This record gives sequence, C-alpha cells and structure tokens, in this order.
Amino acid sequence: MTSPTHTAPAKATSPIRLVLVDDHRMFRSGVKAELDPAVTEVVGEAPDVDTAVAVIKETRPDVVLLDVHLPGGNGNGGVDVLSATRGATTEAGQPVRFLALSVSDAAEDVIAVIRAGARGYVTKTISGNDLMTAVRRVADGDAVFSPRLAGFVLDAFGAAAGEIAEVDEELDRLSAREREVMRLIARGYQYKEVAKELFISIKTVETHVSSVLRKLQLSSRHELTAWAMGRRLL
Amino acid sequence: MGEDGQVPDPQPVVSPPVQRPKLYRSSSDRWIAGVCGGIAEHLGISSALVRLLMVLAVVAGPGVFVYGFFWVMTRPDTSATQGVPVARSRRPLTRNQVLLVIGATGLAIGLGWVSPAGQLGRHLGFLLPVFAVAVGAFLAWSQLDASERSRWAGRSKRGRILAVARPVVGVVLATVGVVALATQGQGFDVVLTSALAAVAVLVGAAVIALPWVVRMWQGLQAEQTERIRATERADIAAHLHDSVLQTLALVQRRADDPATVIRLARSQERELREWLYADQNRSTDSLASAVTTVTHEVEDEHGIPIEVVVTGDRPMDDGGQALVKATREALLNAVRHGAPPVSVYVEVGPSGVEAFVRDHGPGFETTEIGDDRLGVRESILGRMRRHGGAAKIRRLESGTEIELTLPPLAGADGATPATAEAPASTAVAPASTAEASASTAEAPATEPRPNETNAGPTAPPTPAPGVREAQPTGGRTT
Repeated sequence: MTSPTHTAPAKATSPIRLVLVDDHRMFRSGVKAELDPAVTEVVGEAPDVDTAVAVIKETRPDVVLLDVHLPGGNGNGGVDVLSATRGATTEAGQPVRFLALSVSDAAEDVIAVIRAGARGYVTKTISGNDLMTAVRRVADGDAVFSPRLAGFVLDAFGAAAGEIAEVDEELDRLSAREREVMRLIARGYQYKEVAKELFISIKTVETHVSSVLRKLQLSSRHELTAWAMGRRLL
Repeated sequence: MGEDGQVPDPQPVVSPPVQRPKLYRSSSDRWIAGVCGGIAEHLGISSALVRLLMVLAVVAGPGVFVYGFFWVMTRPDTSATQGVPVARSRRPLTRNQVLLVIGATGLAIGLGWVSPAGQLGRHLGFLLPVFAVAVGAFLAWSQLDASERSRWAGRSKRGRILAVARPVVGVVLATVGVVALATQGQGFDVVLTSALAAVAVLVGAAVIALPWVVRMWQGLQAEQTERIRATERADIAAHLHDSVLQTLALVQRRADDPATVIRLARSQERELREWLYADQNRSTDSLASAVTTVTHEVEDEHGIPIEVVVTGDRPMDDGGQALVKATREALLNAVRHGAPPVSVYVEVGPSGVEAFVRDHGPGFETTEIGDDRLGVRESILGRMRRHGGAAKIRRLESGTEIELTLPPLAGADGATPATAEAPASTAVAPASTAEASASTAEAPATEPRPNETNAGPTAPPTPAPGVREAQPTGGRTT
C-alpha cells in the first residue's frame, strides 16, 4: 500500500533465489503465494533443521527465510541452521544471507538469531510487499530492522537510557546517529523516511543500520551476552 | 498399612436407610488424631461425649488400645476439604501432644501411688515400658499422619529432618519398651541378649520389607506426578477451550466479515501470546504496561493492527496517566482518520518520556482544528500541557505523527538533558498554545513549561487538574 509498492518492481535483474525454512507447511505456501516470482524465486523449502542445512548447501540460495523455532538439530531452532551453514556461499560466491522470521516477540529469540548471523528480523504478520522489500535488502547485504527489533536494540544498548558512544567504533554502545536512526525505525519510519528526516541518503541509513547490526552481533554488552547465554550460544 | 490405604472406594457406604457418614478420622474436629471427632460424626452424637467416654476408657485401661486401633484402621477425612486437606488444627495438636504426654505420665505415676505401697515397684516396672511403647508408637504414627498431610504442602529442610527423626526415635523407644517388658525381673545379661535379639529381628524385618516399601514409595510418587501432569493438561485444555476454540468457532460463523475475523484473530493471538510468554518482569502498574494495554484496547475496538514498541519503563504517576490518555486519543485519531500502518513508540529515559503515535493517512494541521473539536485540543494538547509535558503534531509526507513528551519524574536522576530535545522540534507548540489560551483559563500558568522544577505530582502550578480532566472524555475527536 505504501512505499514498498513502487520500490518493489524497480529492479529488473534476475530474481532473488530464496529458500523457505519453516515447520508449518501452511505458512510456507502462504509466503510463496504472496511473493512475486519475478522478484523472488523459491528454490527450496525445509521443515526442520537438518533438511534446511542440506537444502541450503545444495541449492546455494541468495537468501534464506528462517523461522526462529524449528524442530531438529540441537534444539535451538534457527540458531542451529545458522551455525551449521556458516561459510555457505551463493552461486555468485557471496555469503548466504539469512532473514529471521518469527511469531515470537521474545527478545532472547530475536537477539539469539541475530547474534548467530541473521541479517534481520521480521514478524510473520508482515505484508507480502514489505517482506519482498526486506528480502531484497538482505540480499543486497543490508540489514532489516523491524520497529520492534529497533526497540530491543535501544533497550539492550542502553541507548534509551541515554548511553551514547564517544566514538563510532565502540562496540558496546550506539553512536548518537545510530541511536537516532534506531529511534526513527522504532517510530515506524521506513528507511526512505528516516533518510529524509535526518537529511541523509538512504545509503547512509543502510550503513548505520548495518553498523548497528554488527554491534549487535559482536558486542559483549552484558544484556546481549545474557540473552545469548540463555540459548547456549557462548 | 497399605491394604486399606489403596482402596479409596466410597461404594460400600450405600446403606439407604440412614445415610451415615463413613468412619473417617475427623480433620476439623480433633485433639489428637481426630478419632473421637470422627466417631462422633459417624454416630451423629456429640464429640464431647465420645471424648469423655474415651478418657474414661483410657483411665480404665483398654482405652489406649481402642484409640490406637481406631487411629490405625481409619483414614483421615479428605472429603471435606477436597484435595486440599489444610492442617487447620495443627497448632492445637502439637500443644495437645505435650498435654497428652504430661497427662499420661501423671496418670501412670498416680496409678502407681494410689495402689498399695508394696506393689508400687512392680507397677512401675510394668507401666514404664508400656508407657515407652505407647509414646514410641505415637511418635511413629503421628509422623505417618503428618507426612500424608505435608505431601500437599511444601516441605522445609527442618521439616524433612524432623520427618526422619520422629519415627526413628519412636521405633527406638518402642523397642526399648518391648525389651524391658519381655525381660521383667531378669538379670542384665538376659536384657542385653534379648535386646540384641530384638535388634536382629528388626534388622531382618527391615531387610525383607525394604524393597517392598521402596517400590511402594516409587509407585506412589509416579502416581503423584502423573496426577500433577493430568491436572496441568486439564488446565491447558480448559484454557484453550475458553479462548482459542471459542474464537475459532466465532471466526467460522463470521467468515463473511473479514474485518471482524481479523480483529478476532488479532486479539486472540495477543491473548494467547500473553498466556504463553507471560511477561516476566514487567509490573502491571507501570507506564509501559499501561501504554500497551491502551493500544490493545484501541486495536480491539477498531480492528486495525497497531505496532507498539516501548523501551524503558517507570512507575505510574499523574503525568503518566495523562500521557496514556493522550496516547489513546491520538491512536483513536490515527485509526479513524489516518491509514494503517499505525505505530506507537514510547521511550522512557532519564530525560523524560517521549511518545510517538504515527499513521499513514492524509494528515492534518493544528491550525485547521476548529474550536469545537475537543479531541485534539483538549485531550491531547491541553492535557499534556497541564501535566508539565508537551504535545505536537507533525504532518509527514505520508501521514501524521503526534509527539507527546513528559519531564522526568521528580525523584529521578539526570534532569539535565531534559531540554535537549526541545530545540530539534519545529515550533508547532506556540501556535497551539496561543489558540489554547483563549479557551482554557489555566493555560497561562503552565505556559512557561517549567520542565524540571515542577515535575512531580505535588508541584504547585498544576491548577485544578481534576476540573479539566473530566471534560475530554465526553468530547471526542474531530
């Protein structure tokens, strides 16, 4: 309805090769029906961790839509898929990107998959158009933050409580600019709107978001490690 | 006593003529083990009478055995307090235990004194061992009773030690008593040998009985966990039935009305989610939970999904209440006049509270609001100002965003950056305040927006908050 509509058919390059990993067949077919085959081509599906690992290694997709909760593996769901396929590459030689998809709002689930290497997180109630935008963004190597994930990030880095990094490279805090970007995303702004609001380019917004994602994955802040510990990641 | 313990069958009591209650040991009317109370209930007579008779019987001699027999052979009454046999009379029981011991000792000694002086020695020699056996048996049996009771309640560490110590002491006492009885008037050697023999027999019996006891114990525990699991399953089934199944039935019936179906699904989803991931550490009486609740209410009323994100939290106060009400009003505006997606973001930090309500509709300007539109003017702008906060409305390229701010709590630390937010905002506030001052008399008092100084609810310049507060609820939005 909104902005994603006119950005979706913009690129006329080859479709993004996609693997769907979700233990609910109904959900998989629902997603397939919503996606535009000209933009995204579903090359494989998997209902559990072990099948997912095999399918990803065999089809070498650009993007994997990964459910957080999955049967099989070591019992850690999506996290197990991420750790088992670390280093997997697409046909073009790029690393395979993962977009986490979940019905769960629990912070530990979300943070766990992000720290295990997912490039973004969206809820299953996302519209088809928004999902396609998110997939494209992840395929391009950018990060996808839902408002809720942005809220988690602000909380986890203490940014909401006013902790701001002195230098951008500091891993345990957000820089002032990153905080602004996160706040706008939490307020429901699209990247385009964030860019307009802060008088920066969309590319810069994407850079900020990716840098936040990197901090989220590498930081040793207590709040993050505690969450990860809960999922036996460390 | 296992054989009567495993047959909880209420069938045998179907004696049509007189529906007499089955003989249980009373759990409500009892001094020692509830035997007398139980008999009285069973026979339908006064328990005081039964007790008097029992005391007489005890004094006469056979009463102790009669009481013991009933104690052993009857089960405690659990029907009255179905499943939860609360140990209501436990305190009096322990005091009565002491009383009983004292009374029985007095009785024994009295019997000894009263009888002819020459027989005193022989009497004592007989009575003391009997007394020891009785006390030992009492200790062991009362423990069994207690363990049955405490199985339902939680057990402390001290309770567990006591649970082991009591039967051990009881058994030792009883054994000593029995040995003493059996070796009346014999020499020390004989006493020693018989004591050894008694111990040997006990050990033998224990060796034989142990596996059986252990197996029975395990069986009991298995049965217990099974019962707990069954209750849990029943709870879940009941919950799913009351919520999910009902909603699914409704969804089927309203299949032709997509809006209703969406609303039903959404509210059911939220309810189920709350039940599953019951929010661990968020108190129910905080700003964050209030905002979330109010968002869900609006969502339910209008069937438009609203994304709500809250970071940080703080306890509720007057300002918080105002913010929640203003948020509600803003959300109502957004779902009525705006377009989805609608989102709420509330950030509670050391520099105060900021709330953003955003929609994607055509938007409106504050200057376009007529004087008669109380919704925006009073419920949002006026209300926030009266509580030391501020509200502004921004028209975006697609949609509208209402921003609500509150100063930090009076006791909160770091009030310094409170004004840091203000310069970034474009001046919508002056226009609205000028307008508002015409209609609201108290506006000039709060005009200077004294952010840090009067943040608390006790601050002086919050004139008549109650008077204005009542009005906005009646006057709805544009």
